[in-house]
Amino acid sequence: MFFTYLRRELRRRRKAALVVASGLALGIALVIVVSSVSSGMEKAQGKVLQSLYGLGTDMTVTKAAAPATGSSQRPRFNFDARDSDSDEEQSSDRVMVQGFQTLSASTVSKVDAQKGVADSVGGLSLQVIRIDGQFTRGQFKQDPDSGGNRQGGGPGTQQPPQGRVEGGGADFDVNNYSVYGTDVTKPALGPLTSSKITSGRTFKTSETDAKVVVADKSYAKEKKLKVGGTVTIKKVKYEVIGIATPDSGDAAANLYIPLKQAQTLSDSKNKVTTIYVKASDSQQIDSVKSTIQKNISGTTVTTSADLADTVSGSLSTASDLASNVGKWLSIAVLVAAFLVAGLLTSSAVSRRVREFGTLKALGWKSGRVTRQVVGEAIVNGLVGGALGIAIGLAGAYVVTEISPTLQAELGGSNGGSGGPGGGGPGGGVFGGPGRQTASKALDVALTAPVSLNTIVVAVALAVTGGLVAGAFGGWRASRLRPADALRRVE
Amino acid sequence: MYELRGVTKRYTRGKEVVDALAGVDLTIGSGDRLVIQGPTGGGKSTLLQMLGGLDRPTSGSVELDGTDMARLSEAKLTRVRSENIGFVFQSFNLIPTLTAQENVETALVPLGVKTKERRERAAAALESVGLAERLGHLPAELSGGQQQRVAIARALVKQPKVLLADEPTGNLDESMRDEIMDVLEAMWKEYGLTFIMVTHDSSIAKKAPRLATIRKGRITVKENAGA
Repeated sequence: MFFTYLRRELRRRRKAALVVASGLALGIALVIVVSSVSSGMEKAQGKVLQSLYGLGTDMTVTKAAAPATGSSQRPRFNFDARDSDSDEEQSSDRVMVQGFQTLSASTVSKVDAQKGVADSVGGLSLQVIRIDGQFTRGQFKQDPDSGGNRQGGGPGTQQPPQGRVEGGGADFDVNNYSVYGTDVTKPALGPLTSSKITSGRTFKTSETDAKVVVADKSYAKEKKLKVGGTVTIKKVKYEVIGIATPDSGDAAANLYIPLKQAQTLSDSKNKVTTIYVKASDSQQIDSVKSTIQKNISGTTVTTSADLADTVSGSLSTASDLASNVGKWLSIAVLVAAFLVAGLLTSSAVSRRVREFGTLKALGWKSGRVTRQVVGEAIVNGLVGGALGIAIGLAGAYVVTEISPTLQAELGGSNGGSGGPGGGGPGGGVFGGPGRQTASKALDVALTAPVSLNTIVVAVALAVTGGLVAGAFGGWRASRLRPADALRRVE
Repeated sequence: MYELRGVTKRYTRGKEVVDALAGVDLTIGSGDRLVIQGPTGGGKSTLLQMLGGLDRPTSGSVELDGTDMARLSEAKLTRVRSENIGFVFQSFNLIPTLTAQENVETALVPLGVKTKERRERAAAALESVGLAERLGHLPAELSGGQQQRVAIARALVKQPKVLLADEPTGNLDESMRDEIMDVLEAMWKEYGLTFIMVTHDSSIAKKAPRLATIRKGRITVKENAGA
């Protein structure tokens, strides 16, 4: 009888049932779309962060910001001007530590010893500026009418030759690229983990001071580098052993070389710019951060969350929209849908006073009548839930199909050292606050993955909506006294 | 069967106090047929609700087979209603979405009767009121007289001790009225139950063996020897 009665009542009031179900469906669909888009945002941010950090890195340790020290750290290039008939090319390499701030390599073992640290590895980010070209001297051309060569001038009237300098100048090419010195003994951590070796091989753990290089795919293409070829950095030739393709976005550096080689090139023996840290427990990242900052002075610890805060651009705007406007809109629509469902159910009970009064007169207990009302409301909720899940999945599918491209900008200039080329690809963000000199922009395609959890939440919301509506109606039905109910309709 | 002593029912609306029943004493024997008459607002329906356990008196006692219904818990009173009392209402009060058979079944639901038996008993009850061909019809597909027959079948399917009818012919035309009264009389005789009916219809009242009249909450009962 319960199901027969329920089915018939829902069929009889299908318009009202549809209104209730539609309201709930709208709320639930919004929750699904917003949560899946948020999850897509997180995934996109994760991709952005992963391209900088590499897989498995929970935080980075860098030297704490120090005031700029003027122009002494700016790269200087000295070229001699040659005669115009000289075709000799001059070139000069300047290898600079990105951000000009380094930590002692011993800090890596100190960080490694901290509680909650599972693993850590140091790396040295370098920026290389190479200038190649010809610098020729101008030639003096004497004015034919000037005194110097004029004949017939009286004695004592000899004048210096008149004329002007013509020709000369400079024709040079600037090549600016980034080099990352990686600890080849710990290949599982650090920026190189965000790229796949698509040609050749990666470093062997024994190549701690070998003259070998792994090139980023884009840079290799631009410079026509191939596995087996060579690349020269500051007059040192390195053999290209592999080509790395980043999983997403830009690579952390153009070239990767063993850490010791990077230290030698930049005269930074036993120095690193960044320490990549993996925590034992991903839930304890904040406490590990505090521990490191407390125990190792002069360092700045940046977690993924901190870095995520520096993401700007349309990704950040969309993420803010999803997490703020989307979340509150979903809550508002859900609350409104619950209330409307409750009020409509309650109003339906009012219209059925005679019906319920009669059933109570026939001996139906209040509980049985209430169950009937709640049952109808829950079915409405489930119908709304099913509709909402369908609409929500369709919405998420559309977002994924369209895959709108969002731009993520990380870091940004804050006037640190001000030197040229302070940040190449993957540059600026590693330095930590106070040392970022350039921003990094990445295009990320937005997806809206729907997890099982989201569906479970949607079903729970549907049932909750039904229960809330049922509670309104059930409470009203349970309070009906048969005599009052029958009297009211006379 | 029924023993009512000093039953009062007072309604308060703001400062206005209305005594719907003002000290009603009434005895109704098992198998009696009592018709209650009186002007509108005199207390007829209130008395019927006291007898049916749908409402409780402000004071006094309403005993059914020695049990004071005024003192029973809500659950026990519900049980008494489901087992012993059948109701027929002026507006039929059928559930519009349920068929005639399902409407009759609703009276057996609180008794925990199994589905199969419930269906059989409902079909038999409808057959006894001449609606064997209308089991699967919705109330909207039946005439007023047929709907009231369904209501009578619903009241009688559980074989109650008492049948309470509140103006059962009030919404019917004359021919239908006679048809329904014939059915009710036949059932009363067949089942030997106590039949109490509220009516405005004098022609029906004249035929009643006992006639109670309520005015301003006070009752007078006359025996009708000629009925």
